[in-house]
Amino acid sequence: MQLTEADKSLSWTAGENRMDRAGEQDAASAAGAATRRPLDIRDHVEPADYQTIGTPFVSDAKMTARKVNVFYGEKQAITNVSLDIGRNEVIAMIGPSGCGKSTFLRTVNRMNDIIPICRVEGEFALDGEDIYGGDQDTVLLRARVGMVFQKPNPFPKSIYENVAYGPRIHGLAHNKAEMDEIVEDSLRRASLFEEVKDQLDKPGTGLSGGQQQRLCIARAIAVSPEVILMDEPCSALDPIATARIEELIDELRENYTIAIVTHSMQQAARVSQRTAYFHMGKLIEVGDTKQIFTMPKHELTENYITGRFG
Amino acid sequence: MDNSIQAEQHTSQRYNAELEGLRSSVLTMGGLVEQQCRQALEALVKGDEELARSVARSDHEVNQMELEISAQCTDILARRQPAARDLRMVVAIIRMVANLERIGDEAAKVGRLARKLADGRDREAYCSEPLHLGEGASSMLRGALDAFARLDVDAAIAIIARDPEIDREFKTLTRLLMTHMMEQPQRVKNMLRVNSCARAFERIGDHAVNLCEEVIYLVEGSDVRHLSIEEIRERHSS
Repeated sequence: MQLTEADKSLSWTAGENRMDRAGEQDAASAAGAATRRPLDIRDHVEPADYQTIGTPFVSDAKMTARKVNVFYGEKQAITNVSLDIGRNEVIAMIGPSGCGKSTFLRTVNRMNDIIPICRVEGEFALDGEDIYGGDQDTVLLRARVGMVFQKPNPFPKSIYENVAYGPRIHGLAHNKAEMDEIVEDSLRRASLFEEVKDQLDKPGTGLSGGQQQRLCIARAIAVSPEVILMDEPCSALDPIATARIEELIDELRENYTIAIVTHSMQQAARVSQRTAYFHMGKLIEVGDTKQIFTMPKHELTENYITGRFG
Repeated sequence: MDNSIQAEQHTSQRYNAELEGLRSSVLTMGGLVEQQCRQALEALVKGDEELARSVARSDHEVNQMELEISAQCTDILARRQPAARDLRMVVAIIRMVANLERIGDEAAKVGRLARKLADGRDREAYCSEPLHLGEGASSMLRGALDAFARLDVDAAIAIIARDPEIDREFKTLTRLLMTHMMEQPQRVKNMLRVNSCARAFERIGDHAVNLCEEVIYLVEGSDVRHLSIEEIRERHSS
């Protein structure tokens, strides 16, 4: 017989021994942390030429952004970000507050132009066309690249007028019948028509929050945009309204390209095909959403999505 | 990337405690199962009927731990929506406890057979045959649990590489027992029991391999189940 008493006592306590050893290891790494702390959310990622990890570029890009720097006065909000938004894909942009994700989203349809102290550098193209060119009409650009905001913001007009406003200023309808068709079609695509078809002349502001947000989406798609930007479109909505908007995003993807900024990581995981993680104005990592949420490559991404906020 | 799962703490201390608790529970369950295996082997080899009986009945505690750990995992999935390495840890643990429970079953089976074999005449002549095989399987199990405790992929791969050795040993043992059976037909029943014990240890080795595959998944995010050892090494080095 070769099992000795020592063997037996060892196997009795093997479980605890292992934990102790692991505990020492943790203690050792905690002690080491004084000199070499792992990166955390508050760390500044230094070099200005920081290289994004993963796959920021795609073969079939609808929009491209290269070497983007954005300043608010003296303060730099975005540093050297290069990213493609692929055709008919939903790309989610995540990151802590102040990481630059919303700023980046707003540069893509020149919403930052209206902020006097804001300065944008870099190259932006929509289907290969420069969107910051001198001859670019921003009103036309924003018709092609629509936006939906955090808080539903319908015009203080009727439901019908909310949707008809864009097509009217862009001259998309030649008569009442055509306009009716655009309004109905947009409301249908935003999954709102059935709920409001008998009250199209009622004020849009009288709808519930979720309905208002879908009205804003209908308003955005009424002018047949190619890209829809969404800045936390569900953060003011209840879970049911959120689920409907997410369902809608998935349907809209067939015809549109969508970029969504969200604070809900679960939402990013649910609706997007690609995810971009921003941190302190830099684009840290971009990858397939599945990969980002199961096997992120950068420690900062990992810490953020697992809830290790330093 | 740092191999320590707790390199960085969650902002939620409670979540940290839950994940750490889960990990300790698996190690405790592993320690229990490992002890069962060693006792089963000892009972078989020494013909210790008392020990055999206690091992045969001991899977109750392991089954209970399986249920508790599975419930902890479900709870974390439902309430924390873990991502990245936390998610991989929970998923790996769900699969690991199933393997540990099966190992417990195999050990209990050896215990039951050892009880029946304990009073056989000239049992010494054949009951110690699976000693080497059983020790090999137990040490693979211990190695797998160590690899999990340290999140050590290299160690896990080294354990997986030892499985063919166990399989060969089992085949050799079966051949040997067949020779015994031909020589002593009146002992066939007991020989078959010994062979079942050997088969149980061979299966324990397979489950240890499964545990190691989960360690690799947990650390590297790469699912290496159903791959050959060469493919696993290749994927690990790339």
